[in-house]
Amino acid sequence: MDTIDFLVKKALSRRAFMAGAGSVAAATAIAGCSDDGTVALPVASVAYSDTDILNFALNLEYLEAEFYLYAATGKGLSTADIGTGTSTTGTGAGTTTAGTAIPGLTTAQQQFVNELADTEQEHVRALRAALGANAVARPNLNLTAAFTAAATAANTLTVPSGAQIPASFSPYTNFDAFNVGVFVFEDVGVTAYNGAAPLISPAGIAAGYLAAAAGIMAVEAYHGAAARTYLTASLIAAGGTTAAYPYLAYANQIAALRGLLSGGTIASPTGEKYLTTPTGTAPYTTTLPTISSLVPADANALAFARNTDQVMHIVYGTFSNTAGSTTPTAGVAAGGFFPNGLNGNIKVTQS
Amino acid sequence: MANLETQKLDNIIASRRALLVSGGAAALAAAFIPKEAKAVSYASTYVPADVDILNFALQLEYLEANFYYYAAFGVPITTAGNSLVTAAGGVNASTGIGVGPGTAATGATGSIIVKSNPKVPFATTAVAAYAAETAVEEGKHVNFLRSALGSSATAQPALDLQTSFVALGNAIGVANFDPFASDAFFLIGAYIFEDVGVTAYHGAAPLISTTTTGKTYLGAAASILAVEAYHGGLIRSTIKNLDPNNANGYLGYTDMISAVRAGASLKANPSAPNPDDVGLSSAVVTATSSPTTVSLAGTSVLSSTTADTNDAAFKIAFSRNPQQVLNIVTNGNALTALTKATGLFFPSGMNGVLS
Repeated sequence: MDTIDFLVKKALSRRAFMAGAGSVAAATAIAGCSDDGTVALPVASVAYSDTDILNFALNLEYLEAEFYLYAATGKGLSTADIGTGTSTTGTGAGTTTAGTAIPGLTTAQQQFVNELADTEQEHVRALRAALGANAVARPNLNLTAAFTAAATAANTLTVPSGAQIPASFSPYTNFDAFNVGVFVFEDVGVTAYNGAAPLISPAGIAAGYLAAAAGIMAVEAYHGAAARTYLTASLIAAGGTTAAYPYLAYANQIAALRGLLSGGTIASPTGEKYLTTPTGTAPYTTTLPTISSLVPADANALAFARNTDQVMHIVYGTFSNTAGSTTPTAGVAAGGFFPNGLNGNIKVTQS
Repeated sequence: MANLETQKLDNIIASRRALLVSGGAAALAAAFIPKEAKAVSYASTYVPADVDILNFALQLEYLEANFYYYAAFGVPITTAGNSLVTAAGGVNASTGIGVGPGTAATGATGSIIVKSNPKVPFATTAVAAYAAETAVEEGKHVNFLRSALGSSATAQPALDLQTSFVALGNAIGVANFDPFASDAFFLIGAYIFEDVGVTAYHGAAPLISTTTTGKTYLGAAASILAVEAYHGGLIRSTIKNLDPNNANGYLGYTDMISAVRAGASLKANPSAPNPDDVGLSSAVVTATSSPTTVSLAGTSVLSSTTADTNDAAFKIAFSRNPQQVLNIVTNGNALTALTKATGLFFPSGMNGVLS
C-alpha cells in the first residue's frame, strides 16, 4: 500500500508541468515574486487533464532514464517498463537510439552514473504504475543524433567561457562528456517544477502533490549541482583554461541554446546562468578567488522557472516550424530527443 | 515572546501532512499521502499563517547566511563596506544586511557566538569560490525574505556558531570541531546545514496558503528550496571528491552527521522515515555503512549517494516538519510541549511563532 500511495501521489505531482497550461493569474504571481530576473512565464490557453500532465512527465522520465541507463550499462529500460500503448495512450513502444556504456570510469564515477540511472528508472516505474492503463508507451527517443544536433546548434554560440562544443559531441565518450549530458537535462527539470509549483490547485496541495513535486525538484537540483560542481572543479584542477578543459564551456554553450529556445538571448539566456571559472591564488587567508556559478538563480538567489512550452522547445531542439527562425513559436510537435514527438496530448507547443 | 497560545500552536504543528489531511479533501489525502505520514498520531485544524512559515525560514536563513559570511568573508551579514563582500557581489554590501525586527514582529536581535577571526584559510580555489558563492546566495535569501515579510520580519535571534559545532563534533568523534579551520572542516560544517534547509523548505511549502499572496510566497519558497538543494548537491559532491574512498574519514563524518539529524528528526516525529537522512559513504565500506546496491539492466551494481539524499525506495527528497527541524537545530530540545526550543545553534531559541 505504501508503494501504491506513493506512486499515485508522485504521479499526480506532475501537475508541476501544468505551467504551460495554467492560469495567467498564478503565472503573474510567480513573476511578481521577484523584483528582477524571475522568468515571466508565457501561458497557453489549452487546458489539460491530470492524465495528460502525468504523461507529459512520463515522456521526460523515459528520456532521462534511458540516457542514464545506457550510459551506465549500455542497456535501456526493460520491456516491462516501456509499455505497449493504445490509440489513446501512444502508438506502442517506440525505439531508443542511444550510445554505449561510458568506458574507463573509475569506481566512484561508475557509482555516480549508477545512482542517476537508478533514480530515473524508479521515477519511470512510479509514473507508469500511477497512470496504470492510461500510461503512454515510450515514444521514439534519440539520444545520439539529438546530442550532435544540439551541439551543432550550440557550436556557433559565443559564450563568456569561449570554446566550441564539437558538432560530433557524444556524452558517452568519457565522464567529462557525460557530465555535460547531465547538465543538458537536470537544470531543465528544476526549472519545469519550479515554474509550476504555485499553479497546483488547493485540492492538489491537500492531496500531497505539491510536497511530492517539491521533493522531486530538490532531487533534480541535487543532480544539477553535482554536474555543475564537477565541471567547475575539473576546470580549476586543469589550470582554469578552456584550452586545457573545454567541457565547462561546452555546457555553457548548451545553456545558451536552452536560453534561446526558451525565448531569451545569449547575453540574457532565459532560465540560465552561465558557469564561471573561479580564479585566484591560494591560500586565501585574507583574500578570495572570483566566485563560482554553481547555482542557476536570479538576482535574489531564487531558482529559475519554465513552462511546458519552453521545456518542449528545449527537448525538441526546435524554435519554430519556420525554417531558420530563432523565435519560439506555437505548433512545434517533434524533433531533437523526440523525433516523433511526445506521446499523449501535450506534445505541441502553444507558444 | 511566545505566549501560551502560540506555544500551544507550535506544539500542534507536528506534521504538515496531518495539517493537510485536515485542511480539506480528506478522502483524497487519505489515498495519496506518502507513507511517512501514515502513522501521524494526531491532526489539527490549525494552519500556520504564511508570515509565520516565512519567518521560520528566515530564522534558518539568518543561521546559514552568517555561517557562510563568517567562513568566506570573516564578518557577519550586518557588516557594512567589507571589501570581500563587495568583490563577491554580496547584496547590500555597502550597508550590510538588516537583521532587526519589523514593527509588527516580536523578539529582539540577538548576538552571535563565534571564534575570533573565523574566516577559513582556504587552501583551494574551488572550495573558496564555492564558499563565497554560497555566502552571497544565502545573504540574498535573508534580504529577500525580509523584504517579502516587510514589517512582519522577525529579528535575527541569538546564534551560536562555536560551541554548537564543538558539541556536534563530540557527537561524531571530532574533538574541538571547528568548521572555520580548514577547507574540509568547512565543508563538513556546511553539510550540517544544507540538507536540513532542503527538508525544511520541502516540509513547509505545502503549508503555505493558496491565496494570491500565498502563491507568491510559494513561488519564492520553491525557488529557495531548489537553491538549497543545489547547495546540498555541491557540498556533497565536493566532500566526495575530496575524500572519495574515506581515507580521511570525511565520508564517515557525513554518515554520522546524517545519523544525528535523523535521530533528532525521528524523536520529533516518530512516524518519519527512519532514517530520513543519508550520508555519503553508501558505496564505500566503512565502520558506519555498508555498500548500497541497485538493480540496473538486470544486474546488481553499487550505487553512490554523491548526488542527493532521498527516500531509498522512491527517490524523492526527504521532508521535515517545523518541529523536526527545530529539534535538529536545537539538539533535541524541541520535544517539550508548550516550551520554546532552545539550544545548539539557537541558544535563546528562534524568534517568531514557529519556535
